[in-house]
Amino acid sequence: MSEVLLHAEKIDKNFGVTHAIDHVTLDFYKGEIHALIGENGSGKSTFTSCLTGIYHKDTGKFTLNGREVNARNQVDGNYQGVAIIVQEIGTLSGLSVAENIFLGKEDEFTKCGVKNTNAMNKKAQELLDSYGFGYIKAGNLIDKYNFEDRKLIEIVKATHFKPQILVVDETTTALGEKGRKELFKVMKETKDDGRCVIFISHDLDEVIEQSDSISVLRDGVYIDTVKSSEVTTDDLKKLMVGREMSNNYYRTDYGEKVSDEVVLKGEHLTVPGEIKDFNIELHKGEIIGIGGLSECGMHEVGKALFGASYYREGSVTLSDGTRINDIKTAIDHSIAYASKDRDNESLVINDTIQDNICLPSIEDLKKNHILFGKDQKAFAEKFAKQMSTKMEGVHQFMSALSGGNKQKVVLARWIGKDSDIVILDSPTRGIDVKVKADIYQMMDTMRKNGKSIIMISEEISELLGMADRIIIMKNGRQSGEFKRSEDLKDTDLIANMV
Amino acid sequence: MSKFQKFKQSQIFGLLILILIAFAFWAIFKTLAPQTFGDFNRLKTYLKTALIYAVGGCGLYFICVMGPFDMSVGANIVLSSVLAVNMSNRFGYVGLLIAPMISGVLVGLLNGLVYIKLRISSLIVTAGLSLVYEALSIYATNEKNVILGSAYRAFGDYPWNLILALFAFFLCGFILKYTKIGTYTYAIGSNEVVAKNMGVNVDKYKVVAFVLCGLFVGIESILTISYGTSMTSESNLASMARNFPPLMGTFFGLAFKKYGHPVVAIVIGEFIIQLLFQGFVALGAPTTVQNIVTGVVLLAIVTMTIKPIKGEVVK
Repeated sequence: MSEVLLHAEKIDKNFGVTHAIDHVTLDFYKGEIHALIGENGSGKSTFTSCLTGIYHKDTGKFTLNGREVNARNQVDGNYQGVAIIVQEIGTLSGLSVAENIFLGKEDEFTKCGVKNTNAMNKKAQELLDSYGFGYIKAGNLIDKYNFEDRKLIEIVKATHFKPQILVVDETTTALGEKGRKELFKVMKETKDDGRCVIFISHDLDEVIEQSDSISVLRDGVYIDTVKSSEVTTDDLKKLMVGREMSNNYYRTDYGEKVSDEVVLKGEHLTVPGEIKDFNIELHKGEIIGIGGLSECGMHEVGKALFGASYYREGSVTLSDGTRINDIKTAIDHSIAYASKDRDNESLVINDTIQDNICLPSIEDLKKNHILFGKDQKAFAEKFAKQMSTKMEGVHQFMSALSGGNKQKVVLARWIGKDSDIVILDSPTRGIDVKVKADIYQMMDTMRKNGKSIIMISEEISELLGMADRIIIMKNGRQSGEFKRSEDLKDTDLIANMV
Repeated sequence: MSKFQKFKQSQIFGLLILILIAFAFWAIFKTLAPQTFGDFNRLKTYLKTALIYAVGGCGLYFICVMGPFDMSVGANIVLSSVLAVNMSNRFGYVGLLIAPMISGVLVGLLNGLVYIKLRISSLIVTAGLSLVYEALSIYATNEKNVILGSAYRAFGDYPWNLILALFAFFLCGFILKYTKIGTYTYAIGSNEVVAKNMGVNVDKYKVVAFVLCGLFVGIESILTISYGTSMTSESNLASMARNFPPLMGTFFGLAFKKYGHPVVAIVIGEFIIQLLFQGFVALGAPTTVQNIVTGVVLLAIVTMTIKPIKGEVVK
């Protein structure tokens, strides 16, 4: 065993009555990629946020190379040898690429209060070139670059000064193939250099493949550390959840006949720059999976069917002939939609669980045109509990929930609305195995109750496991369609994606 | 990206749009009122007024980019102008120049401190404090009209008004581009939480923005009192009307921020607004019509320039 680089001693953090991390003691070694896994809300991100200065721990001590680390913010953390790449976008619009890379470190380029912009741009360009991202120009406004390029800029920002500890927090879900490759390259270089990477991911295969050791947290408590080479994903699931997890959380039925009744029909759907001539017929009690590479246009299909796309051409029609051209008509006709961008497009993040669940059902909850608080509370509690949402109560604010529990609230909202057609875009994105299993179970129950589901997903196993029919997209067009079958393989789908 | 697309994102493109808009309005009014509008001398007069408001617009830009707002600009102008007159009587030009700048800075500092300490909307804070500043101006004047001595009016006309305004514009551009105040101003405006996580002292830089706004409004006051030569104290928020002329320039600055030269946009924007106002005056249009058309044109220009993405949330 190599030398300990970072020692975490009894780290403790509370958010109100929630005990997010409970006296966690953990060692990280030189020259290793150390994964941190756990269910949503297990405390992984809180732990690393305390290390890197995003949060301040209540008690405990981080010791890096024998020196205490007490970061007041991310930049202070950088100076103390720790850096983090976060899941969501961490760059700022309105600033240049160089200003973003050196944000908080302007003093390195400032003399007598005057910032040497040329020197800053030059240094940033040298860094970008050295990472192989020379096509990104340091002097340009960062707004000119897409999400993936901005993530690459974040990688440069977090690693160019060779931090002793690099935290990669759920970053891979936000990256495409190219971005992942670059990220893994940087992680390997950090490890080879005798430093350490703390890697957080819900993709257990990826965790085993990329890491040397894996530590598990559950409900803020440290559970165990195992060697990646000695465990399977099932072992990890058991450690995360605390009991045996069945590998078969997908549907097990094959060959069931789907109803002939068409409940929704999309014809010649085109959204400029996104999708072209897309056609779909959804049957009663059917789950249609739509898959493809991230930028293939599949996410826009969900919006187009829900009447939420701008400049959409073509038609979306229900069985009674109703045309769906806007969101209100869609909701009024029992269509539900859960966006991939949960925080920005699905939830009112600065509001309570109760208000989020009741939002589309307000009209139904009125009694003689009056809305009673107790009815709303009872309604929200019923469906939040039905989805096993981990919460202090429905009065709790959404912002305090973990990713998985936020998704449960989104689903509770639409179950409460009793929608007949449900469009779910990436329903299990960034969600742990236990919540995933709950969501799959819920989808199967809905299907059996005659509800129809369109599931857009970047996870092939999910498509194979849950859908009656799978539509694969490539470059905005349908490139293949497959019926549910035991013989259907992921390679069949991939062949139509790339 | 095609060459045209690149050109459309360039600084020159933004500048060309502004110049074309200014030229178009000049040409329209010149055609409609050839005798009473737009000759060289009149253009100089329009510019003289535009320079005054543009200096205040530069100050407001620091605040508006971050997100808050300052409703006390008018009260600050009244108070600083009154003090400028009083101090010029005692210390000559030194008093005229220094007093309004100090007064502006103190007003900005108080605005900023109260805003970050009370943690309530900047609109409410600055509107509330405006009443205080107006009251102070009444104390300073004994409710009388104050007049700037004829010996100290050099900043009311060319070349000194232009020199002082240019100084203010270069100072604003310099702070935005070559100091970390500029970087942090944009960073806080873009995402306050991320900026905070990057070690930016958000509260401190918000106060700095208010102080800078106060400083530039102080300079605007020098130009205002030098050009107008007299000032009356105000009460009951009557000074609010003075907030809007500099704010119009700030709108242009915000709209053309993406082209990288907000200060130029503020100055030309104010000039465009002056062309509009003076054009209607030349045509003999009633003030109500002038205000309607000016407001509509301002909204149209800013909307066309920003071109928000359809569905984008705008607050």
